[in-house]
Amino acid sequence: MNSCRILIVAALLMLLFPMTVAGVGTTNVTIGVNGYIVLNNDIYIELLDVGSDMGWSAQVHFYSYQDSVGTKKTLYIGDIPTSYTSGSGMTTKVTLDSVFSNGASFVIESSKKLYVTDRHAGEVETESVTVPKLTITRTIDPNAAEIGQTVKVTLTIKNTGNGTATDIMLDEGTIAKTYKDGCPSTIDDIAAGATKRIEYDLKIGDDAQSGTREMPASVLNYKGESSDSYSTQSRSSVLTIIAETVLLPEMTISIDPIDYVVTCGDNVPMVVTITNVGNATSEKVYVKGDLPLGVRLKGGELEPVYESVKPDKSEEYEVTLVANEEGKHVVEMKVMWADEEATAVFEFWAEKSGLEKYYIYIIAAIPILLILLWIIKRRREYSY
Amino acid sequence: MLNILVLGLGQCGNRILDAMNREAFGRGGAFAKYYTRQKFPASVKTIAINTAINDLKGLVDTRAKDRLHVPHLHGVGANRTLGKRVFEDNKEIIMSEIDKRGTFDLIFIITSAAGGSGSSFAPLLVRELKETYTNAPVICIAVLPFREEGSIFLQNAAFCLKDLVEEKPAGVLLVDNQYLKKYAGDIKSAYDKINTTTARRLLFLIEALNSEMLMVTDLGDLKTVMNGGIGIGTMGFYEASKDSTIKSAILGSLKPSGLLFPTNVYKEGARAMLIIKGDKKYLDLDLITKTIEELSTEVGQVFKGVLIQKGRPRVLSLFTLNSVPELEKLYATAAEAIRFEKERQNQSKSQLDSAFSHIEDLEPIY
Ligand SMILES: Nc1nc2c(ncn2[C@@H]2O[C@H](COP(=O)(O)OP(=O)(O)OP(=O)(O)O)[C@@H](O)[C@H]2O)c(=O)[nH]1
Ligand SMILES: [Mg+2]
Repeated sequence: MNSCRILIVAALLMLLFPMTVAGVGTTNVTIGVNGYIVLNNDIYIELLDVGSDMGWSAQVHFYSYQDSVGTKKTLYIGDIPTSYTSGSGMTTKVTLDSVFSNGASFVIESSKKLYVTDRHAGEVETESVTVPKLTITRTIDPNAAEIGQTVKVTLTIKNTGNGTATDIMLDEGTIAKTYKDGCPSTIDDIAAGATKRIEYDLKIGDDAQSGTREMPASVLNYKGESSDSYSTQSRSSVLTIIAETVLLPEMTISIDPIDYVVTCGDNVPMVVTITNVGNATSEKVYVKGDLPLGVRLKGGELEPVYESVKPDKSEEYEVTLVANEEGKHVVEMKVMWADEEATAVFEFWAEKSGLEKYYIYIIAAIPILLILLWIIKRRREYSY
Repeated sequence: MLNILVLGLGQCGNRILDAMNREAFGRGGAFAKYYTRQKFPASVKTIAINTAINDLKGLVDTRAKDRLHVPHLHGVGANRTLGKRVFEDNKEIIMSEIDKRGTFDLIFIITSAAGGSGSSFAPLLVRELKETYTNAPVICIAVLPFREEGSIFLQNAAFCLKDLVEEKPAGVLLVDNQYLKKYAGDIKSAYDKINTTTARRLLFLIEALNSEMLMVTDLGDLKTVMNGGIGIGTMGFYEASKDSTIKSAILGSLKPSGLLFPTNVYKEGARAMLIIKGDKKYLDLDLITKTIEELSTEVGQVFKGVLIQKGRPRVLSLFTLNSVPELEKLYATAAEAIRFEKERQNQSKSQLDSAFSHIEDLEPIY
């Protein structure tokens, strides 16, 4: 059954009534799956299903007005006729003649003249056809990735039908701000039983939104040999988009402690280090210094400006301060970049200079010393 | 400004010199030398000369470099003969030390006449100084001993004065320890008092000589006064009390109580110089002139100098004498002492000779 031509018998909702069946007590009927016919307003013959597992078969439900339960029988082509007697005593013998993809035709004999008094449904393939049946599964690997990364999407398409799938159109689901690379929209025919694997890259765009995102199902539209259209779809998938590590400059400032206790008037070296501990280059880095009263800048530039500081890079500079007044001094240094700032504080004690400390004593001692020297001189002058 | 040299010889001379130096410090007491400078009324150079280093060490207000030690153990032990020899041996040293002080208009030599060093150096120094500083009058201040100090001091005083006068200094001014004993009970304070008094009077005189005076006395007048009589004189002093007139002050300066040596100025005075200092309001020049004129009829030539100075009138009298009875007494005593001494010596000698005669012709036997 390679060349498949499917004959669809239209289901007639209503036929002429009464309908004369050719030959006394014998008639040919075709019933679609889930359809039924009523014979002589008494016997119902309903086609439940058709199968091809152990030879072509049809499952039929016989019942009648007075036998609403009826019997269910599976009829095989070539079997002996299956008989059913209705509740009112009318007996029919039914033989399975042929099976279609969704219907079957039977030969019904009876001692009475048979009329099909009612008929329901019926897409009946009047001919035995080949039907493709595709299934599609999708995997995303890895299923969690950062923004900017690319993941691999694998589509596995399997034809479980008995016919070749043709004109396969792939309608792949999309996550906003992700970009497919190498995803086909049409797929070559897939023979019955064959499996096709399609791989493509999915790049997560820079502007993609992070979080757990659902990728709608991949939908396959395809046709069989008889140009019938079919459709199948995969399950939807989940891709976790991890927010990308933000690239920002981050400056720190530190002041190397040199001397905590200094002497008034002496040089106080201060080494200022600013470091970009962020992951992006910082443009225009300003340093501002706030000297307290009693401390002045003696050398070096207190407030340099750096055009750019690369990540993990430091800028170091030294200035010389001089404390004029004794006591605790707090120098505040600030580094400023892109609307942000960081502060470091340098504390030190200034003590009176050695001289200054003893100033009063020295002042007091000088005249005493002079007087002493004078007295000694005089003493020597007058001692013999 | 006058350049004046003051030499203090021997312990006595040294200490009067030291007193002058102390007075030059003003009223500062013992510590004055540590905080102030000497203010002499003229350019005064002082040298203390002694053979006894301990005497020099005992000085307080004389600069060390103004103390000259003439090495001869600890003094010459009142032996003028030895003293003269020591001077001759060290003449160059002494004269060169004096020479370092420049030239002088007036020279004072202060010494005890009774000791060994000072009394023997003084006449010889007069000779040397007169030779070297021909224009500078040399005035000797000779201190006479306490009479009870012994015959040697008396002899020395006698011979020293004789020697001095023979060398013809400009003059000799006597200071008599014996006479001034009244100042204090014990010898030490008597010395101090005599020294200070003498020092002050010399400075008073120096100041007057160096100053522009209302009525002038000068070095020439001084020379003339010192030339009078036998060339020996002394000084008197009087400080007026509140209500006394200038006349009583002038006359007071000639009273025995104010003299350094006992004499009757009115009887024995040859020439005098009166130096009057005091506040202008006290100094009635007419009265001064009148008083001095009166004085001249009794004392002989009287020079006067008036110096306007703060304070009550003070008057220094300086005069030479025609005769010195007190000296005569002293010489008589000295001669007696010498004779007595000589006799004793002879006696002792013959005693010793007779003692030795016992062992004459004998040899020790061992
Ligand atoms: N006015 C007064 N007389 C003194 C002082 N010291 C000693 N004399 C007198 O001086 C005499 C003794 O002479 P000194 O000056 O001590 O003797 P010198 O010149 O040092 O000679 P030598 O000691 O013998 O070598 C005695 O008559 C003492 O009374 C003194 O400070 N003031
Ligand atoms: Mg002596």
